[in-house]
Amino acid sequence: MFTKILSTLMLTLLLTTVGIAAEPSKSSPQAGVAASSSAPVQVQAGTVAAPAPVAANPAPISGVPTKVKPNRAITISMFMTIIGITLCVVIWAARSTKSAADFYTAGGGITGLQNGWAIAGDYMSAASFLGMSGLISLYGIDGFMYAVGPMFSFIAILLVIAEPCRNAGKFTLGDILSFRTAPKPVRAVAAVSTVTVSLFYLIAQMVGAGKLMQVLLDIPYRVSVIGVGVLMVGYVVFGGMKATTWVQIIKAGLLMSGTVLLAFLVIAKSGFNPVGFFTDIVGNPLIQDHVRMNVLKDALPKPGFDYGQRFMEPGLFLKNPLDQVSLGIAWALGAAGLPHILMRFFTVPSAKEARKSIVIALFINSTFFFLINIIGFGAALYLSPQLISSVDKGGNMATLLLAQLLGGGAGSLGGDMFLAFICAVAFATILAVVSGLVLAASAAIAHDVYVNIVMDGKADQHTQVKVARITSLFVGLAAIVMGLAAEKENVVALVALAFAVAASGNFPAVMLSLFWKRFNTAGVICALLVGTISALTLVVISPVMTYPQKIADDAKKIVSTLEKKQLEGVVLADKDQKLLEKSRKDFEKNNGGTSMVGLKAPIFPLKNPGIVSVPLGLIAAILGALLFRDRRAEEMFDEVEVRQITGLGISKASDH
Amino acid sequence: MGKTSYNWSEIAQNPKYLELKRKKRVFLFGWWIVASVYYFSLPLLSGYFPELFKIKLIGVINFGYLFILSQFLVAIFVAMYYTKVANRDFDRLTDELVREIQ
Repeated sequence: MFTKILSTLMLTLLLTTVGIAAEPSKSSPQAGVAASSSAPVQVQAGTVAAPAPVAANPAPISGVPTKVKPNRAITISMFMTIIGITLCVVIWAARSTKSAADFYTAGGGITGLQNGWAIAGDYMSAASFLGMSGLISLYGIDGFMYAVGPMFSFIAILLVIAEPCRNAGKFTLGDILSFRTAPKPVRAVAAVSTVTVSLFYLIAQMVGAGKLMQVLLDIPYRVSVIGVGVLMVGYVVFGGMKATTWVQIIKAGLLMSGTVLLAFLVIAKSGFNPVGFFTDIVGNPLIQDHVRMNVLKDALPKPGFDYGQRFMEPGLFLKNPLDQVSLGIAWALGAAGLPHILMRFFTVPSAKEARKSIVIALFINSTFFFLINIIGFGAALYLSPQLISSVDKGGNMATLLLAQLLGGGAGSLGGDMFLAFICAVAFATILAVVSGLVLAASAAIAHDVYVNIVMDGKADQHTQVKVARITSLFVGLAAIVMGLAAEKENVVALVALAFAVAASGNFPAVMLSLFWKRFNTAGVICALLVGTISALTLVVISPVMTYPQKIADDAKKIVSTLEKKQLEGVVLADKDQKLLEKSRKDFEKNNGGTSMVGLKAPIFPLKNPGIVSVPLGLIAAILGALLFRDRRAEEMFDEVEVRQITGLGISKASDH
Repeated sequence: MGKTSYNWSEIAQNPKYLELKRKKRVFLFGWWIVASVYYFSLPLLSGYFPELFKIKLIGVINFGYLFILSQFLVAIFVAMYYTKVANRDFDRLTDELVREIQ
């Protein structure tokens, strides 16, 4: 009954939120994207004149204010359908969530197939769905190369993490790490690490959600962050792992149908001829111009250089091989140390099912990232990189624009429907990912800190579930508050940070706990502390942060170029004039400014800390364990090893 | 927790267990290393030998594109092969061992 009242309350709250959001709807849905091919060509003129700094920096592409304009009525009704279906799932799940095992692991009653879809749903974020196809549409093959990392993540999980963890663990990262160590300090450190990693990831998702809804539907940033926050809290507080799992399964299903459909339409449009498709891309004059002028900045074409073919060659976006290796390490090991992914293994009854679920997740993921490549290249060919970057500099709107085009174009019913569907998919994606994160963070606080540290493991089922629900509520509220506060922040660094911390701290700690006899309390604590702190420090002093001085310098370059032109007697075009004014302002605002930690320029040259922080975390773990030997931990290794290899004494739903 | 307690160190000496442990270790870490070498060869080759990636193989489709595609195929192959071996050998050995102990 308690559940029902609260769910009704939540629904009302949500409806009000959407009601408020719908208020400032004055834009006519007809005012679609100027998809005529002539518009983007003119846009470039301004780009060549201004010496744009690095590709990733705010390239001064001004001109036609193009925008994606979904049909609000259709889109919001699709959102409401998703919300409605998921709320039904929550109410159904809430009824069967009685014990702590129900809350954290759905009683271990999820099948391998279901869990595989849920893991995929937990892992594939809106950033990959929208961002990666955008990268491909702007930088060609480099974007596709970028997709290999998140696909490969599942190999380490499959081979060395999933089954041993399932056999040796119970609910959380703390359970795995505290098995043969001093439980209280280890659980405390593991909980801090879990909460840190999950909150970083969570804030990045919340800010992304807020900005996406703002761009797409004119819903104010605050309203969408609160709306998403209320929903995720509702899913987790009432439905626990069962509801979260089904929200993730639904999301993965929606995401895959959207992706398959889009990719199929691209393939159909190309006449089912992959070689012809890529020949068209290489021969496309707009792509050639984009590569020449916007990416390589060759004002005059180099004679005999094939700019179209260059789109199919590496180095347009990923420029530093060491940075790529560093990022590769974070993908390869980081996902295996993410607490919200680790937690999913405990929802299945056996190691065999855990294995099956990872294999299924790997299949879904590989298919997804393969199809994203078709969508990205399709967007480049059928929309043109100029149009895509004029709507969003990072290319994040490529998937949405392509859906609109292939559905029948802006303003057509098909175009509106398909665009609305893809928006709804992105929305569901955000909901599913944030729910998993809230659950993982609150499990660490409620199960590790409260039940096992404060209460010495002596809490009855009723109390455990109650505490877990209250914790989820507070974690969710904290995420909403931080999401609101981080509106203007550069959150790209946060996801990289979450992966780097997981790869440098959690991954070595989990691996050595499972496979190294001498590993002990000191080792775990050293791994988590050194891994986390080194990854954090390196990111904070890396080029990922915002450096006002650099913005000022870049603005100054533009100002001086344009002023020189003026001195030569050239009358500046309207948009160049605007650019000049904007750059002057940027210069004044940012000159002399420093980054968050008071730096004028980055100290660490790489965007990704993995190549340094992972070895540091690993060395710290080994040194810590060797310096403080622990006989008990060594004697208990037989038990850990037998358990993780055979699954004897496995923690089952009925056990606790 | 209401479960039978096992003599862990005795099981740890069981020849069947030792065989299972050795087989699993060799297979899992072996394939993990192989897959990782293949995976890291992508950023290394594309970064330090970009000319290799530019070789056109099928029409305009070059080595680079096909190499990236092969990453997906290798990952799927490793997953499928592991599933096969695990279902055929590891699960059977584990079942035999567990039956012997209980």
